[in-house]
This record gives sequence, structure tokens and C-alpha cells, in this order.
Amino acid sequence: MTEPLLSVHELDVRFGGLAALSGVGFHMRAGEILGIVGPNGAGKTTLFNALVGVQRPTAGSILFQGRGISGLKPHVIARLGMTKTFQNSALFPEMSVLENVCTAALLHHRLAAAKKKAYGILERLELFDIAGEDVANLTFPQKALTELARAMATDPKILLLDEVMAALSHEEMDGVIAVIRRLREDDGIGFIVIEHHMRAILSLCDRLLVLSFGQVIAEGDPGEVVRHPDVIKAYLGDSAGAGHA
Amino acid sequence: MKTLLRRHGLALLCAALAICLPLCMEDSDYAMRIATMALIFAAASQCWNLSGGLANQISLGHAAFFGIGAYTSTLLYIHLEVSPWLGLVAGGMLAAVAAAMLSVILSRLKGHYYALATLAFAEVLRVVANSWSSVTGGPIGLTIPFKGDAPLAFQFSSPAGYYWISLGLLALCSLVFHRLASGASGYRLRAIRENEVAAEVSGIDTFRLKLRLNVLSGALMAMCGTVYAQFIYFFDPDSIFSLSGISVKVAMMSIIGGLGTLPGPILGAFFLVPLEELSTSFFSDTAGLAQCVFGIVLIAAILIQPRGLMAVWGLRHRFMKGART
Ligand SMILES: Nc1ncnc2c1ncn2[C@@H]1O[C@H](COP(=O)(O)OP(=O)(O)O)[C@@H](O)[C@H]1O
Ligand SMILES: [Mg+2]
Repeated sequence: MTEPLLSVHELDVRFGGLAALSGVGFHMRAGEILGIVGPNGAGKTTLFNALVGVQRPTAGSILFQGRGISGLKPHVIARLGMTKTFQNSALFPEMSVLENVCTAALLHHRLAAAKKKAYGILERLELFDIAGEDVANLTFPQKALTELARAMATDPKILLLDEVMAALSHEEMDGVIAVIRRLREDDGIGFIVIEHHMRAILSLCDRLLVLSFGQVIAEGDPGEVVRHPDVIKAYLGDSAGAGHA
Repeated sequence: MKTLLRRHGLALLCAALAICLPLCMEDSDYAMRIATMALIFAAASQCWNLSGGLANQISLGHAAFFGIGAYTSTLLYIHLEVSPWLGLVAGGMLAAVAAAMLSVILSRLKGHYYALATLAFAEVLRVVANSWSSVTGGPIGLTIPFKGDAPLAFQFSSPAGYYWISLGLLALCSLVFHRLASGASGYRLRAIRENEVAAEVSGIDTFRLKLRLNVLSGALMAMCGTVYAQFIYFFDPDSIFSLSGISVKVAMMSIIGGLGTLPGPILGAFFLVPLEELSTSFFSDTAGLAQCVFGIVLIAAILIQPRGLMAVWGLRHRFMKGART
């Protein structure tokens, strides 16, 4: 058995008196697609922020490729190969689609090569036709794919997707799911996916992690985990989750 | 040649104008002095624009670097007879160190907190310069020993000498601005302005990029301070570290001219410096009236065109487009 690409131990994040994450631990192998579900406020986004260096953990360790990355800055972690998309679209609003992606591609390339790489990514994600479009004019699925494209431009080994499919219809969701699968097959990228839609989670993820009140309450095969009594209880206590999950 | 004209037409026009100006105004020392003052302030405002316009770091303390430059070169000259040309370099280096330290200390501050902290920094220097009389001369200020026509000592008998040097300084500051605003660093800086956290997560070292801007901005601002001191021969702590006279003015020129654009500070300075001069000479009889008129015209200018003078000419868009490619 190979060493995990990412392993998290006893991770704590506190905001004053609030324990947003307490004792969170999990492992992930290269190329795996790991799902994370949990009621609103469970700490999912906080976990992503801690992993990519936006939020400094209060305690615990994060090992990426065997190296401790807890406390490093986001741009250093991005260079090592882990980045995320944002729950509320955080594209650079006054840039075009191409410029958004190109900016991230500058991490590993000079300008001319970065542009070329950005075009390549846009082509793969079928965004080539809107390369020159200002991101303010994009539809929801186009925004989601542009976020994905920008993150891809940093050459991630693990990409964290925070509810990229939130505002999408079923068909649009299927499109994004197909793209994520393709990126995993072709580039061997591992994904951690926060999603409320069970449909997306079940069809995409190899493994599922359930967070509730900052703790991992279940982990394992997606089909089995969703039937776990603790998980059902956590969701029944939360009206927002009941409809989707 | 045709594309050169189309792409850099405006820049060429300005350069031609700047070179012809002294020839037309040779007889008028007064006009030359105003033009030189506008050039020095345009250069200083371009320095401010480097950190304020390109990285959204709205400083209200750029007088600090201006004063560091003026005091360094002048004290070196008075006490050690070091040529102000070398003093210019020394002041720039000292200001670079100060700017680097300030950048590190203030790296977590944003918006008005950043503005207030920089303001406090300049105020501290003003107080120190006032009270540390044995070195700075205190509130009496410093007068540069008059040498007549002595280019090596950075003194000229005709205003044209200062004009050309100020023009060169403005060209240098604008060149540095252009280098940073275009190409890969232009992309990164736009990303920082538009969403700093997303920029970091996309692999941009926002701390280092801002540090670089602040150091360049501080160093060049100090050089403007030296040129200013040589040009007016006399300054004191309250005028050289002045909040309203320097810090706010250089910020205002960039904002009025067009924040984050290369021509912005130049338009702003060539609007504000003559305006201030005119209102002072027209309304010199009634105390305070000049400042009122100046203020009213300023407010009117901002109300009429909040995005800066650049927009009036419809040029802003073109320049932003230019910076994109
Ligand atoms: N920067 C912050 N400061 C204070 N509290 C925060 C911050 N970010 C998140 N929280 C709190 O931490 C908890 C977890 O939030 P979050 O990770 O966004 O949940 P989720 O993404 O699972 O909906 C919530 O109670 C939220 O209010
Ligand atoms: Mg969230």
C-alpha cells in the first residue's frame, strides 16, 4: 500500500470560543475523489481553508506528500500542488475568462506559455468560445467551470471544490461531473468535493466523509455512509440538509 | 511607424510637448517654475500610484519618504559636503529600507487601517524632525547653501536645469510603473486588487509583490523629495512631512487623474498644481479664499468625473485595455 498523498491528524480550528473543527482526521490517496457532506455550519469550508492555508489551524497536522504544510501560506501550498475553488464565486471580476485562468497559470509559466496553457485548459473544459468574455457576463455553469479552469491552471495534485455545483440544474451538474471525472482520468488529479446534492456525491465520489459540528461522524463507501444511523440523525436535525441529502 | 504612432501616440505627444514647453517659456521663469513643480508632483504622485493604484494600498503617509529623501541629501550636503546627486541615491536607499520595514509591519492591515497607520508613520517622522534639532535643525528647517550654477552640486542658475531633471524623474517613475503594470506582474497585481484571497490561493505571493511595490514606491518618492528640496532651496519638518501639502496631495492627484493608470498622476498634477497656483494668485487679498476656491473646484472635478480625468478623455478604457495585452 502506497503512502497517502494527504493525511490530516487531529485538526482543530477555533474561532474564539467556537470550535469550527475538532479532532478531524482522514487520509487521501492520489487520484481519489473524496466527498464531504454535512449540515450548514458543520465546518466544511473551514476544513478547506485550513488545508490550503487560508485559515491557520489551532492544532493538529496536515501532511501533503509526506511534508507538514500546516501554517504555510496559500501560494506556497498552491505551488506544492493543492488549491481550492470558492463557495461563492471568487473569480477576478474585471478580468476575462482567459485572463482569470492565465493569471493562475503564471504560477509555473512565463506569460506567453501561461496564455498558451490557459487556452489549452479552456479548450478541454469547452470554454474556448467564451475566452474573451468578462466573467461578470457568465452563466452559473460557466462560472463554475471557469473556477475549475483557474484552479487547474496551477497544476494541482489535489483540487478542493467547495460547492461548485450549488446553483446548477441536473443537466448542468452532469456536465460538471463528467469534466471532473475526465480530469481525474487524464491527469490523475485527486479531488475533495463539498456538495449538498446527494445525486452528485453518489455518482462522483469514491469515498465519503460526513462532518457534523466540526467532527467526522462517518467515513466510508458513499452508498453505505448515507444509510448510517448517525448520519441520518445529523441530517434530520437540520432542515436545510433534509431536502438534498 | 504607423502602429508605433497609434499605440504610443499620446505618450509621444506628451513627450514632444514636454520638450517644446521650455523652448516656448524660456522667458518666463514663473511658468517654468510652475511646470517644474507640476513635474515633481507628477513624479511623486506616480510613486504613490505604484502602491496605491496598483496594489490598492491607499497610503496617507507618502510624505514620510519624501522627507527622508530631502533630509538625507540635504544633511549629507551641509555636514559632509556629499553631492546631492549621491544624496539622492542614499535617500532612496534609506527610504527603501524604511518602506520595506513598514510594508512588513503593516502587511496585515487593509483599507482605512492601512491609511491611518501610514499617516501615523509620517507624523512620527515630522515630530522627530521637529524635536531632534541637533541633527535636523528642528522647526527652523534647512536651507541649502547657495552655489549658483553648480550642476555637480545639483544647482542650476536657470529653471530649465531643474525642469529637465524633474522630467527625467517623472519618466523614470512612469517607466517603473509601466513595467509593473504590464506583463505577468500586471496580471498578478490586477488579481490582488480584485480578490486578494483568491489571488493567494491561485499561487500569487501577495506579500512579496506588495513589498516590492512599496520599496520601489518609497525609494522613488525619496528621490522626488531630494529633487524638490534642491529646487526650492528651503524646507522645514512641517512642510516636507506635511499631510495636506504632500501626502494627501500626491494621493489626490492620482485619484483625480485616474487611479492605477499611467497618465493619471500626470494629468492630476498638471491640473492641481496650476489650479492651486492660480487660485492663490487670483484671490491673494482675502485670506483663505484661495483655499476655498481650490477646494470647490476639486470637489466639482470629483463629482463630475468620479473615475478621474482619464475618463474625460475617454482614454482610461484604452489604457486599461493596453495594460491587458
Ligand atoms: N472567519 C470566521 N470567523 C468566525 N467564525 C467563522 C469563520 N468562518 C467560519 N466560521 C464559523 O465556523 C463554523 C463553520 O463554518 P463553515 O466552515 O463555513 O461551515 P460549512 O462550510 O460547513 O457550512 C460556522 O459556525 C461559522 O459561522
Ligand atoms: Mg461552506
